[in-house]
Amino acid sequence: MVDIVVLVKHVFQTADLRIDRATKTLVTQGVPKVISETDKNAIEESVKLKEKHGGMVTAITMGWPDAKEALREALAMGADEAYLLTDPLFEGSDSHATANVLAAAVTKIIDYDLILCGAYSEDLFSFQVGPRLAEICNLTQITYATKVTLEGTRVIVERDLENERQVVEGKLPCLISVLREINEPRLPTLMAIMAASKKPMTTWTAADLALGEEELGFNGSLAEILRTTVSVGERKRITLQGDAKEIAPKLVKALIQEGVLKAG
Amino acid sequence: MSQENIGIWVFSELPSLTLELLGKGRTLADQLETELAAISIGPEDHEFIEHGADKVFLMNDASLSTFQVDSYTDAITALVNEYRPEVLLIGATRNGLEFAPRLAERLKTGCVTEASGLELDAEKKFVLLDRVTFGGNIVETQISRAKPQIATIAKGLFSPVARDSSRRGEIVKVEPKIKPPTTKILETRPKTAKGVRLADAATIVAFGRGVRKKDDMAVIEQFAQAVSGVVGCSRPIAEDLGWLPEEQYIGLSGQKVSPKLYFACGISGQIQHLTGIRNSRIIVAINNDPKAPIFEFSDYAVVGDLYQVIPALADAIKELSRV
Repeated sequence: MVDIVVLVKHVFQTADLRIDRATKTLVTQGVPKVISETDKNAIEESVKLKEKHGGMVTAITMGWPDAKEALREALAMGADEAYLLTDPLFEGSDSHATANVLAAAVTKIIDYDLILCGAYSEDLFSFQVGPRLAEICNLTQITYATKVTLEGTRVIVERDLENERQVVEGKLPCLISVLREINEPRLPTLMAIMAASKKPMTTWTAADLALGEEELGFNGSLAEILRTTVSVGERKRITLQGDAKEIAPKLVKALIQEGVLKAG
Repeated sequence: MSQENIGIWVFSELPSLTLELLGKGRTLADQLETELAAISIGPEDHEFIEHGADKVFLMNDASLSTFQVDSYTDAITALVNEYRPEVLLIGATRNGLEFAPRLAERLKTGCVTEASGLELDAEKKFVLLDRVTFGGNIVETQISRAKPQIATIAKGLFSPVARDSSRRGEIVKVEPKIKPPTTKILETRPKTAKGVRLADAATIVAFGRGVRKKDDMAVIEQFAQAVSGVVGCSRPIAEDLGWLPEEQYIGLSGQKVSPKLYFACGISGQIQHLTGIRNSRIIVAINNDPKAPIFEFSDYAVVGDLYQVIPALADAIKELSRV
């Protein structure tokens, strides 16, 4: 038996985001929100481990009320219950404050054996919440997992680093962050989607988690965003078109002049 | 001991990346009129002083010879608590990226991962740290309210200071107190991506769906040879079609590259891909769709059929070599 908490983030589908060059704003209107991709792999892995070893899978998200949709999807994929952590006080949380909120929730939920999460979120890519949560909960962290095997309280994890693959052994309880290549997330069947609507989903606020204002949101954050600017890229955008045989020598010469190409 | 945090520190388990961090660290330390220190694992000082450091902390402990996040967090937390630096720059390898936030949480300080820009604020109290989010669309400028300010920095972003053998500095030997790690490494095996290292490549020729069938990859490979480049691809080529191994796709969730010259051949330019190439110096895009988003992010936008343009480019290079 293994009781797993899986962390889920509800994000804008990055591929659909675009910049309005005229107003220099990020266009999010009409952009669908989805489960951040590696979190989806974490859900899949949790459900697989449960199918093999028995136990409970609990999905948690901190987010806006619409993050319920992400939890419904997690339930349809096979999670047993879900918790939505939502409160206007959470707004402006950095990765430290987010980890505080998640830590309070996992501590309140159950005696878990394992926390699974994506190695990064698709929108912010900060890689921080997993390690910070592990530190607050005093847990071993095993990151970048591409394979997880449980043998009693031993956990064997294959990890993907830049230039090498590593196999490490740890003990439960621990936190494991996963990469996309660990599995292929299932598409829930219609039956599973319908069954998911009957599974328990609980909403918790800051008060439910007994967290003070100094521990969360903007005030509880250690990092502060001073400003955000839209990146428009600073490329030359020199267009070349016409006959390939005419363009090619021009381009090659330009690249040599830039000092980025050597002839011969 | 003073409560004030003083000094810029840099650390990476890769000495080559430490040198790059020293390059940026030197600028910041000079602006702040403070000292620059590097943390070194093992008995070697890697000539960090000759490359700009005023001080090197030498952590010579056998248990640090392999990167383990627990041990490194213990060792560096103790060092930071004793000497209280103002800024700590950490190399953004995968090891560095799992270590920096854990360390920051233990020290209860902020951390900016994969910072792309570092500047002092007007009062020289904070380092303003830029980081790119939302698939390359937004640049956030952050500070850490607590000290040390921690940031991780990717390879290839900054250049080392040239070696100066007359530079002098101090070497401080440290005996770290480390608990045994909670995980055990059972096996380590190098990746076998045919020796192709996109991260280190000076020239990359990448292709996307504009290449119509697998056999046509030969066109790209020949061209890559002509420009002494390494072949890469967009995500669909590796993930959906499986024409190249996953290690060779470039993008937000794949390889992030910083070559001098990047050719995007038949790549439309989804944000996923653009984020992976934004640190390239010159981007040349070849695409037959004049509206392809990649052109907005290119230095040279070649509107044309890659099946004609690429052989023509190869010929033009050959022609010039002959002269």
